[in-house]
Order: sequence, then structure tokens, then C-alpha cells
Amino acid sequence: MNQLWAIAVNTFKETIRDRVLAVIVLFALLMIVAGLWLGSISLGEEGRMLTDFGLVAVTFFGLVVAVFVAAGLVHKEMEKRTVFILFSKPVSRPAFIVGKFFGLAATMAIVIGAMGLFLFALVWVLSKHPSGTILVAVLMIYAQLLVVMAVTILFSTLGSAILASVLGICVFVAGQLSHNVLALTRLGKNPVTEVLSWVIYVVIPNFSAVDVKAGAVGEQTIAWGQIGLWLLYLAAYTVVVLGFAAAVFRRKEF
Amino acid sequence: MWRRVLAVVVVVACGAGVVGYQATRPSRAPANPRVFIPSPSFFTDFSPSFRTSIADAYYLFMVQYYGEHVNGDHRLDSLPAMVDLITTLSPHYTKAYIFGAFGLMDAGRPDLGYKLLQRGFKENPDDWRFPDYLGFFAYTFGKGKARDAVVGDWYRQAAALPGSPPYVKRMAAAMLGKGGQTEKAILLWGQVYSAGDKYSQQRAVAGLEKILPADKAARMKAVAPLYGTMPKAEFDALIAELFKGYK
Amino acid sequence: MTAAAALSVRDLRKTVHVGFRRRAVEILKGVDLAVAPGEVFGLLGPNGAGKTTTIKVVLGLMRPTSGSVELAVGGLGRVGYLPENPYFYDYLSGTEFLTFCARLFGLEAEARSRRVAALLEDVDLTAAAGTHLRKYSKGMLQRIGIAQALINDPELVLLDEPMTGLDPIGRVEVKRIIEGLHERGKTVLFNSHILGDVHDLCTHIAIMQSGRVIWRGTVPEALAEAPTLEEFFMKVVTA
Repeated sequence: MNQLWAIAVNTFKETIRDRVLAVIVLFALLMIVAGLWLGSISLGEEGRMLTDFGLVAVTFFGLVVAVFVAAGLVHKEMEKRTVFILFSKPVSRPAFIVGKFFGLAATMAIVIGAMGLFLFALVWVLSKHPSGTILVAVLMIYAQLLVVMAVTILFSTLGSAILASVLGICVFVAGQLSHNVLALTRLGKNPVTEVLSWVIYVVIPNFSAVDVKAGAVGEQTIAWGQIGLWLLYLAAYTVVVLGFAAAVFRRKEF
Repeated sequence: MWRRVLAVVVVVACGAGVVGYQATRPSRAPANPRVFIPSPSFFTDFSPSFRTSIADAYYLFMVQYYGEHVNGDHRLDSLPAMVDLITTLSPHYTKAYIFGAFGLMDAGRPDLGYKLLQRGFKENPDDWRFPDYLGFFAYTFGKGKARDAVVGDWYRQAAALPGSPPYVKRMAAAMLGKGGQTEKAILLWGQVYSAGDKYSQQRAVAGLEKILPADKAARMKAVAPLYGTMPKAEFDALIAELFKGYK
Repeated sequence: MTAAAALSVRDLRKTVHVGFRRRAVEILKGVDLAVAPGEVFGLLGPNGAGKTTTIKVVLGLMRPTSGSVELAVGGLGRVGYLPENPYFYDYLSGTEFLTFCARLFGLEAEARSRRVAALLEDVDLTAAAGTHLRKYSKGMLQRIGIAQALINDPELVLLDEPMTGLDPIGRVEVKRIIEGLHERGKTVLFNSHILGDVHDLCTHIAIMQSGRVIWRGTVPEALAEAPTLEEFFMKVVTA
């Protein structure tokens, strides 16, 4: 646990001190503020426009940070050969992978939290009706990005950082379309394609099971039970992916 | 030294060219009243988390489209498709239904506006605004003997929903009365009277006067159902006003 | 080879697969090595001889294809390692970096801060302890590298080209540190191309070429066969 914590803290310092991160977050905040302009041409729907497009900005920029930082985490250590310093000590490889994940998760919590709180404050000032549902939506976005981070870390143990980034983004998009794959499993008359579709459906993370923004924009009331179950599913998925990443990394030579 | 001067001159000249090019672009060509709007099914396969975002983007597009054409060429050919898309992707987007309905009215298709509001009411059965606007549409564009009854019924439904303002109940009572639904109208006027403020009471009395029979016995029979629907003191006060001058 | 060796390598072989067709390349072709406790052991050889690969297999950074490695000191917890041209986390300060390394060995907070302070003083970096590593000179990086290799007070210290890129003062300082380790009874194994340093520091040497150890013995034994270590090296390697 000591090692895991040490690696997590080190990763947190590494990522939070990255100037590129600060630039991305600043840009994200500007994009959120741009939602105000969209609201000005919406005939009285400023609150909804700011909330909806603000959450899209949080998702998009959060995805950029999650994918590109996660892809570089493991790869940078190997490229810069700091792995020699690490693994010449009695450091467990699974602890390294999990520690890296937790360190980045902490950084992402700050990044996403900052963007979410900024959006919440802006909506509060604009519409005078603070809605905690925005923060719930931000939490759900964060949960999705944790899965994307874990998947990207797995891919980075298998290939280059660029490939891991691209695949991480692909997994995010595929996850948004997960329900389409489920529909495919029910359409196919061929048992082979049915089974294949089912396998793909299970392997791809299901990001479409819950409408993340619906509660925040007033489209529907929040179903806490459904959200809780979905978050547990995402947590379990993350554990499985990190397990695979640790297993792959165990076999790696430097 | 001269190289540096030349470099500065080149950069400044290019900057001037950039600004000049932008400044001399012709003003925008008249917008095409027919724009391509994908069908809702194209977008419903997207993640549910992004459907509202797509709906919002098209809502903004719709508002701009309406603004460009309503005072210009008066052609809102693509408005029905836009409204259909937005409300399919975001069924609880009340503003989109209402704006769309009035936009369709301006486009010469109040029938589509009416159907849109009906669909909106089905998706949002607790929102008083839908039956309220449906009543307006029915009143403005409806024809025939049954019109007033239909209008009154819409306002009655609106009045029964939480958050509806006082005028809705008055409208319901007045239109039901005009439409021949006298019994329902009387009960509604009773509820208006019970609102308590002087204006509501005056309006209720005036409304009842229009629909109650002049004959005392018939009048008493007509107002009898109001007994028990309001506090006795209020009932007595209303009866006193309605039978003022009767012996 | 004795059972009491601090480090014992027997018939170590390592094959890697390179290229699109996964062509097999044998890097280590049966390396035999024994480093007794307390020795300062120099591992010499031309580029590509397999010195760094041998060290990597010893440390578990690579898996051997066959053969065995025995660390009598008690596992990686008692080993310190400085890689060639080391790169550290440049966003950390000297103190933060050594603290991180100490944490990896499970040192408790008080022991950790004492050890870090002592090592910074040993390598003469106390003044720069709070500076980020990206601002360290080559010599300072090498010294912080040695400090991290000693953070766990190891019994066996592996140094891969510890003098590379150092100015004369830096080299003197590193030599002083290695001599200090020897005096304290630590076992040191280091690779180096600078035979003058090998001559000054090592008690024993081994020469590798093409994945094998082709000569091993003491420095006096080597100098008995040639006037200088350089000439002896050339003689063995070109034989």
C-alpha cells in the first residue's frame, strides 16, 4: 500500500504540475463562459444552454486530459527510462499501474471538479436557481472518464502513447453507442454474429445506459438507483481493465 | 538591419491583407428557407447524454432561422422538421414546443402547431402551459359550434394543473359557459369566486350573471351545486350578490 | 563461484526478438559471474558486449531465457542501482525525489526524512534540495542518482557508467562515494569505459565481449599481463 500511495502521490504531482493541463483547463473554462453567448440568443433559455453546453465542454476537455495524460503516463516512464529507477527497487508492477491510475484520478477530480464548480457557479449567478443536478452530472462524467483513463492505460502498456490516445477516444465514442450494439445482438439471425455482438457489447463500456445530462437540463428526474447501479458497474469495469493492464505490464521487459 | 525592416513590412502588409479581406467580404446572402434537417431517427441512435445537446443546438438554429425569415421572405419551410427533431430528441423541452407552435402559426400552419402542443402535453402532462396554449389555438383558429366547448375544456385542464395563474380558471369558466357547458362553468366560477380577491369575485359574479337563468327558481336550482364547494360564508355572500334585487 | 557470493550469475542466456519478423538475437550467451561481498567489481567490455543487459537481468528488468541469478543480499530491497544516463522526474525537487524513493522501500516518515537529509549531505546537494531536478546540472543529477541508489542503505550497489558526462570534480566526488561504500563493506559492481577509474577503484574485474565473460580476475592479475589496464583490455578483447 505504501508503494501504491507513493506512486499515486508522485503521479499526482507529475500531472498537476504539467503546464499543458493548466492551459487546457483555462480553455475549458473559456468554452464554458462561451455558453453565456449561446444563451443570449436562446430567447430565455440561458440556464439550459449554459448547463448543457457547459457539460459538453466539461466532457470534451475532460476527455482530452484523461486520454492524453493517461496515454503518456506509462509510456513516458518507459521512454525516459525512469522505469529503471522504479523497478530496480522492490516495486510491484500491479502497484505501479494502480498507483498511476489513482494519481491521475486525483488530478482529474481536481480538473473536473474545478470545471464543474465553475459551471455550477455560473448557472447559479445567471439563473438564480442553483441546481445540484449539475454536480451529479459532473460526477457521472468523471466516472466515465475514469473508465476511459483505465482503458487508455491498458492500451499504453500494449503500444505507443499515440495509439493508446486514439484507442482511448474510440472506446469513449463506442461506449456512447453501446445501446446500438445491444440492438444488433437482438437483430441478428445468425447465432455467430449474435454471440459476437454480445461479446462486443459486454467488452465495450456502457456509457449510454444513463443520460448523464438529463437531470441537469431538466429533461427528467434523477433516478438515483439507476445511477448508483451504473456507477458500480463502471467501478467494476475499471477494476477489470486495470487487472488486465497489470497482467500485461507484469510481462513487460525494459 | 534592412532585412529586419523588410520582415516587419512583410508581416504588417500580410496583417493588413488579412483584415482587409475580412472587412471587404460581401454581406451575407439571403438565407435559404429550405435547409437540410436530418430526421430524428438519425440522432436517436446517439448516446442519450448528447441528445439534449443536439436538441439545444438545433433549438438555437431554429430561433435564428425563424428570426431570419419571419420578417423577410416569410418562408419557414423547414420549421416543422426542426421542431419535430428538437422535440423528439428532447421531449420535455417545453420552450421548444411553445416557440415551435407559434412559429408554425406564423408559418401559416396553426394545425401543425396545435398537434405539436398536443404532443407536448402528452409528454408533459403536468405543465399547465400546454393546455393553456391549446385553448388559445383552439379559440383563435377553431371553427364551428363546438369550438367554445373545446376551448373551455382546454382551459379547464390547465386550471386543474399546479402553477396555473388565476386568469386560466376565468377563461375556462367563460368559455365553457359560452360553449353551453353551463354546469361546469358554474362550478368553475364558484372556484374563481373562492380565490378571495375582490377582482376575482367581481369577475365570477359577472360571469355567472351571463349564464344563470333569470327566473329565480331556475337560478336557485342552477347555483345549488355550489353549496358545499366553498365555505358557507362565501357561499352566502355569493348568493346574496346573485339574488340582489330578487324578492 | 562460491555460495557466499553477494551476486552469482550462472550460465545466463538472453535472447530477444527484434523486427517485424521477430528475428531472434542472442544477447547473452552464457554469462558466468560471481561478485564476493565487499568487492568493488568492474564489469568491462566494448559497446554491445551485454554489460547493461546482464545488470538488467540481475535486477529483474528483463527475464533470462535460461540460467540463474542469485542475490545473496536478500532481494531487491537490499540492492541499489544507478542506470546509465539516468533520467529522473524533473518536476520533483531533490528532496521530493529522494522521499519518493524512500517511500518505495517502505521507510517510515521519520526515518525517511532523516535518511534523505543525510544522503543529500553525503552527495553535497543540501543547498539544492528544494530545486526542481530539471534545473540540476549533469553532475548534480549523477549525484542525486547515487543518492537514490543508496536510499535503502543497500548491501549491493550496481552503477552503470557512473562517471559518464561528469567533469573532473564530479568524477572525484563519485569516486569518493564509491570508496566510502567499499570502506563500509558494501559490494559495488560498476560498468565503465574509463579504465583509469576502474584501475583506481576496483578490486576485481571481468571483461565481457559478445555476450560472454572472456576474462575475470583481480586488477593486479591483469596488470601482470600488460603494463596498463588499457593495453590489457585491448589484448583480451582483440585476442
